[in-house]
Amino acid sequence: MAKKSYDLLFKLLLIGDSGVGKTCILFRFSDDAFNTTFISTIGIDFKIKTIELQGKKIKLQIWDTAGQERFHTITTSYYRGAMGIMLVYDITSVKTFDNIAKWLRNIDEHANEDVEKMILGNKCDVEDKRAVSKEKGEMIAREHGIRFMETSAKANINIESAFYELAQAILTKTCGREQAEPLDRVPLDGVRSDRQSNRCC
Amino acid sequence: MESLIANLQAQLPSGHRIVTISFSLKHSFSLEAGLVQEWIRTNRLLVLVENSTESALLIYIVSKNVADEFSLERTIPLDTEFKCEIDTASANIVTTDIFLKLSRKKVHLLFEMLPGFKANKFVDEVVKASEVANKKRAPPNFSWLEVYNPQLVWESTTGSDSEQPTSAATELQPSSQNCHDAIPAHLNHKSDSELSSPDVTAHRSSIATGGATPIAARESVVRYQMALRETAYTDLRQISIFLGTYNVNGQPPTSGLADWLSVDKDPPDIYAVGFQELDLSKEAFLFNETPREEEWLRAVIRGLHPKGKYRKVKLVRLVGMMLIVFIQEKHWAYVRGVASEFVGTGLMGKMGNKGGVAIRLDLHNSSLCFVNSHLAAHTEEVERRNQDYLDICNRLVFSTTFPSKAIKDHDQVFWIGDLNYRLSGDLDLLRVKDLLDQSNYQALLQYDQFRAQHAARKIFVGYQEGPILFRPSYKYDPGTDNWDTSEKNRAPAWCDRCLWKGDNVQFKEYRSHPGLRMSDHKPVSCLLECGVKIIDTVRYRRIYEEVMKKLDKLENEFLPQVSVDSTEINFGNVAFNEGATKILTVANTGQVPVQYEFIKKHRDSKYCKPWLACEPYTGFLMPGDNSYITLEILVDKRTAWSLNSGLDELYDILVLHLDGGKDIFITVSGNYQKSCFGCSIEALIQMHQPIAQVAPETVCQLEKAAYPSIDPGNDSDSKQPVLAVPKELWFLLDELYRRGMDTPGLFEQPGLSTEIAAIRKTLDESLPDTLPGSVHSVAESLLIFLETLKEPIIPFSLTQKALDGCGAFPSCKTVYSCLPLSHQHVFKHIISFLKEVLLHSSKNGLDAKTLVALFGSALIRLPPPNYPLGPSISLSLNQPHLDRKRCMFIHHFLVNDLDD
Repeated sequence: MAKKSYDLLFKLLLIGDSGVGKTCILFRFSDDAFNTTFISTIGIDFKIKTIELQGKKIKLQIWDTAGQERFHTITTSYYRGAMGIMLVYDITSVKTFDNIAKWLRNIDEHANEDVEKMILGNKCDVEDKRAVSKEKGEMIAREHGIRFMETSAKANINIESAFYELAQAILTKTCGREQAEPLDRVPLDGVRSDRQSNRCC
Repeated sequence: MESLIANLQAQLPSGHRIVTISFSLKHSFSLEAGLVQEWIRTNRLLVLVENSTESALLIYIVSKNVADEFSLERTIPLDTEFKCEIDTASANIVTTDIFLKLSRKKVHLLFEMLPGFKANKFVDEVVKASEVANKKRAPPNFSWLEVYNPQLVWESTTGSDSEQPTSAATELQPSSQNCHDAIPAHLNHKSDSELSSPDVTAHRSSIATGGATPIAARESVVRYQMALRETAYTDLRQISIFLGTYNVNGQPPTSGLADWLSVDKDPPDIYAVGFQELDLSKEAFLFNETPREEEWLRAVIRGLHPKGKYRKVKLVRLVGMMLIVFIQEKHWAYVRGVASEFVGTGLMGKMGNKGGVAIRLDLHNSSLCFVNSHLAAHTEEVERRNQDYLDICNRLVFSTTFPSKAIKDHDQVFWIGDLNYRLSGDLDLLRVKDLLDQSNYQALLQYDQFRAQHAARKIFVGYQEGPILFRPSYKYDPGTDNWDTSEKNRAPAWCDRCLWKGDNVQFKEYRSHPGLRMSDHKPVSCLLECGVKIIDTVRYRRIYEEVMKKLDKLENEFLPQVSVDSTEINFGNVAFNEGATKILTVANTGQVPVQYEFIKKHRDSKYCKPWLACEPYTGFLMPGDNSYITLEILVDKRTAWSLNSGLDELYDILVLHLDGGKDIFITVSGNYQKSCFGCSIEALIQMHQPIAQVAPETVCQLEKAAYPSIDPGNDSDSKQPVLAVPKELWFLLDELYRRGMDTPGLFEQPGLSTEIAAIRKTLDESLPDTLPGSVHSVAESLLIFLETLKEPIIPFSLTQKALDGCGAFPSCKTVYSCLPLSHQHVFKHIISFLKEVLLHSSKNGLDAKTLVALFGSALIRLPPPNYPLGPSISLSLNQPHLDRKRCMFIHHFLVNDLDD
């Protein structure tokens, strides 16, 4: 029996190359802490965090994925069901930025069609090692019509805003549906039952 | 459920009868009772037992793993100290759960249950049993409970009064009824402003042994935590409450009421005005209709304090009992949850000539309840009055609120009315009047029935009353201030009283108003200052967020957590048919039990590749425990070819899934030593070098090209001339020919696995003149070699035909002619070898029957289940039938000449 002290449950997913800071972003958001030692995520892990938006209690279930190449075929199977995906690159590594296109293709292939996406350029505190300009990040985001933010899990820059913005986007979409459907039909557990009915918004 | 009751009943001493049971969730039981302790909730089984006239609650800890395992945690005797309430604190959180608050002395427990018939029944039974205990006259004796717990020494409640704090203001004992009741005593001194780190460790063991579900309990924990911190986010605002009660003896309001209702300097914030005997007519009694309601309401409105602007909150009337509550306009916006109820306790125990009417409301964050009652009359009817009071307490429930609330479920209760308690009858009337003339009220109050009953804790337990410094309000000749001179000549008495219960109530005034002479009673009033809890939204928000944050943290901490000693398991070099094992250690490093399992990846049919096995692949781990999983790698005939051909590799990623938690990826790898075992004939005849000396890519190429090229003559693109038969086959046959033809037990005695491995290695790595090992090992190697060929000598496509045609040699020969050329060569080679073996049968002891049985299964194999040959293969033969047909097929070739 699931008891809910929240109104909505959003499942979010963090993806991106190994070492861009996905786990650190999650750790900063959920525990407000930062760990400098790099421990590669070998698997799929999640944390929960309850936030409030527009008077609604929203439980975020945030999944952190292994970024290593060899796990890609496995991790893509976790895309389905995610309502929001954060695609992270490292502003000090061109390679991780170049892979954005590949990650976006992955999302197109494996995630729900109406998933809310967001690109994060992490490690923006390390200005002296910057290899990808903010403009380039903004450009690729604009090209694909996706939200963009530069973040730093270490310096706690934009971490909260990023999650709130993504959650807000999902909420806006969910609420749009809420008006279109009878109130009792709104899936409170966040499971999107009927994709076609979501298309209208 | 019945069986469980029977089971438990069997464990109880005889005479102890189970009345009802409340169940924990997640088992086959129907009802949940979660004990909410600080931050977490653990499952409990509540059992109500009775022994003759007494009852007690047994609280069992429920083990999560073993459904029928209970251990008794505590026993709670249902005595007069026992309190059972449906908790309704913090009503601003919407929930559908029932919170059952049980308390006795310093034990406070909050249980969470699923609403429904069973929960209702359970609560009903407990309340009933508790009522029985309250009415019981005999001293309680719960010594029968000692059988459950030898340490429990029954301590009579009679001596427990000293535990109650006494109030300096009055002679009555206050009893806190608000939500703080649920807080364990040791928590009260904790700092309210910051969230102290809760002592979760105390509950670790209960989490570990099962039952603890901190996540599921979230709602109740939020309620509990917010209630715990109420003082941190609420302020007290003082409001004044005017309580007025007047038995009007059926008279209309012939004079103004200002002398009663507005005698104080400042206007009170709230008025609660109660009347009794509003209308004594039959119509009022039978039809509950009276013009007096309107008349008196108007009179009251006219009499309210002129400086205040009032709004009527509610009016409730039952026959002659009427209660009206007014509140100053400025407070109206903060009033919620207004409801009224009435209970008749008059004729037949239910008519409305006696009883009570009540109005409840929430003002800011406090719940207030006003009761106006008219209890049974006559000096000698003390018990009747007591019973009326108890009936009102038990029967009056505000059912329009959710969850429904009884009188006691309010922060503050104000009880007014003609309670009808008199001066005890043995007092001489002249003496009474004499004392009254001297205004010696204290002497007279010694005889006050109300005070005697109250002191004996029979009524109004926990209520307080102001000091009585006024003349009795009863009984006067109407229109005068003279004591009753009628025939009945009633003794004066303080019938009309005002009482209150709850925290933060300050007494101001208590008086009668003799100037109002319409009735044989005088109106009485009481002025109080009450602290009403007002939520500071900023602080509430902050604390609420802290609580949520803390809960998130706990929820994350209570997620299943394990660590594995390695996520990369490399088996190194792996040879054909030589198994190897590695141990993976899984340690439960979290705080909850973990159910783990290797799960399938999206399209796979199994959690791992066929050459790998994990034992166990699923398991349950308690916190702190380790699990050792054996990973066994074995490349056998099923998997060798796909590794030789490069269709597969010794590389797999296992997904170790924790139920309700994360997944861990375990990478398993090895370096497969390609072997001539598990190749195809087509590929082998193109390898002039030992397979170990052929580039792995070439092996892959040859294998991929060889399969499924079954038609002969498809070897056009090979540059090298092909061998007639695989050289490895030739070496094996040659070795046997040279060393084994006369060996007794040839092919029947098993070889040694180490020798077989050495033979395989020799064949893989060299072009040997001789093979190591005994003849038997060589013989077994030959059989294994044939069995592991990717495509058997009789290819799968011809299996059916071979079996169908086994009856006659010509049809068998037709099958032979359909074989690919390379297979024909091999077949022919083996047949002539077998014929040779039979020539030596006197030495080696073999006969044709044994030989065809051995080679039948090596030469003719059934296709694997997923073999892509379409529906033509319908081999539904049973095993002996199949074996016989195979033997017959081979036998034809042993007794006939192929070249005929």
